Amino acid sequence: MIPQALLRNFLYLLRGAEYTLLLSSGSIVLSTAIGAAVGLLHAFGPAPLRILVELYVFLVRGIPLLILLFAMYYMLPYVGIDLNPTAGGIVVIGLYYGAFMSQVFRAAILSLPKSQWDAARGLGMRLPLALQIVIFPQAFRVAAPPFVNTCMQLVKSTSLVSIVGLWELTMAGREAVERTLAPFQIFAGVALIYFCICFSLASYGRHLEKRMQYVH
Amino acid sequence: MSIEALREAAAPLIEIRGLTKRFGTNEVLRRVSLTVPKGQTVAVIGPSGSGKTTMLRCINLLEEFEDGEIIFDGQPIGYRLASDGRRRRLPERDIAASRSNIGIVFQSFNLFPHMTVLRNITAAPVRVKGIDRATAERTARDLLARIGLADKADEYPIRLSGGQQQRVAIARALAMQPKLMLFDEVTSALDPELVGEVLAVIKQLAEDGMTMVLVTHEMQFARDVADTIVFMAEGQIVEQGPPKTVFANPQSERLRLFLRRYHEAYLL
Repeated sequence: MIPQALLRNFLYLLRGAEYTLLLSSGSIVLSTAIGAAVGLLHAFGPAPLRILVELYVFLVRGIPLLILLFAMYYMLPYVGIDLNPTAGGIVVIGLYYGAFMSQVFRAAILSLPKSQWDAARGLGMRLPLALQIVIFPQAFRVAAPPFVNTCMQLVKSTSLVSIVGLWELTMAGREAVERTLAPFQIFAGVALIYFCICFSLASYGRHLEKRMQYVH
Repeated sequence: MSIEALREAAAPLIEIRGLTKRFGTNEVLRRVSLTVPKGQTVAVIGPSGSGKTTMLRCINLLEEFEDGEIIFDGQPIGYRLASDGRRRRLPERDIAASRSNIGIVFQSFNLFPHMTVLRNITAAPVRVKGIDRATAERTARDLLARIGLADKADEYPIRLSGGQQQRVAIARALAMQPKLMLFDEVTSALDPELVGEVLAVIKQLAEDGMTMVLVTHEMQFARDVADTIVFMAEGQIVEQGPPKTVFANPQSERLRLFLRRYHEAYLL
């Protein structure tokens, strides 16, 4: 049996995947930047900022992404903010996963033994230099697996934006299903494409981990 | 030797006065005072929990202290008494500057695992002191040759034995050209057969005239290498003096007990 409906629509799905990749890479970059800044503030920031940052993490982690997307698309226009839908999606997903990323980075930094700090400070290094040459290089190694894991979650979560009408892989799939009435074939294809994206991410993560080992 | 030179030689490099450190209500250092003249080696001995390591870590402010003062080379460490009588913490810049003149070596080596041996030694001279990389590497290779590890420059620390790692840690501290070296039980984590190679490096430093404070459980070594033995118990200095006097003729009951237990443990 040849899955004709899927074959006829595969290019259409790939075009949807293009937008999934755009949304994902934009959100990964944004959430990594937010995560790094928030994670550092959470670990080393002055007390008032730390409280603010904790509040953000606490709130965002406790609200479903879909609700945040609804807020973005249905509520913001009321207060006069009209974002380009794709940019809006990237901002919401970036903010949402930024909270998780911040904890990945913070945990990695705090997981390093205190003795590494002692050694750095004992040599006369101040905080920024100690972070740059002693702590970050080791923390990246600790953070790599959970970071890649969070990225994979993020990629799959971009499918939620189809609910608020953004066009990407899942939306393309839904349209294709309506045309062909072959949901099994089409969604199998959609799943396969998501899987391929995540699988490449995971492989790249493993490659990174190997490269970062101290003894080659 | 001129009078100035003599006075210079006898000038204290560290003066600790009334050093007090608390963890909550627990006083781990109680008004400790100690003077270390330039070029001298002071060995601090005492039972565990007596505050030896805490005192050592206060000297470069890896440990904060609540009262008293530490003067290093004429400069206060960590805190300064303001004109209104309050203690003010010195800016981080000053604290870091003092630390860069004080080398410290830890019980657990604490080498940077993601750097090669050479980078471990050159990182701080290049990034903290601004020495150019080529010069720093030349110094590092000289130091490695002196401690017998010239061939390990490009290895990662994990490939080295404990004794080798500890010798690299000493070289890393020396590369900053410190005026003072602190050794915190540097042989306690080593297999017995590796202790000697590390002690030999420290002994050489003493002979070269480095000022050193070492916390140690190696009594024989302390006796051989130190100019002064300091015995601490319960957060206080109980007794101090030249090794001959302290070991042969302990004045306090506390030290007699400590030495007797030590000998019993090692002669069994």
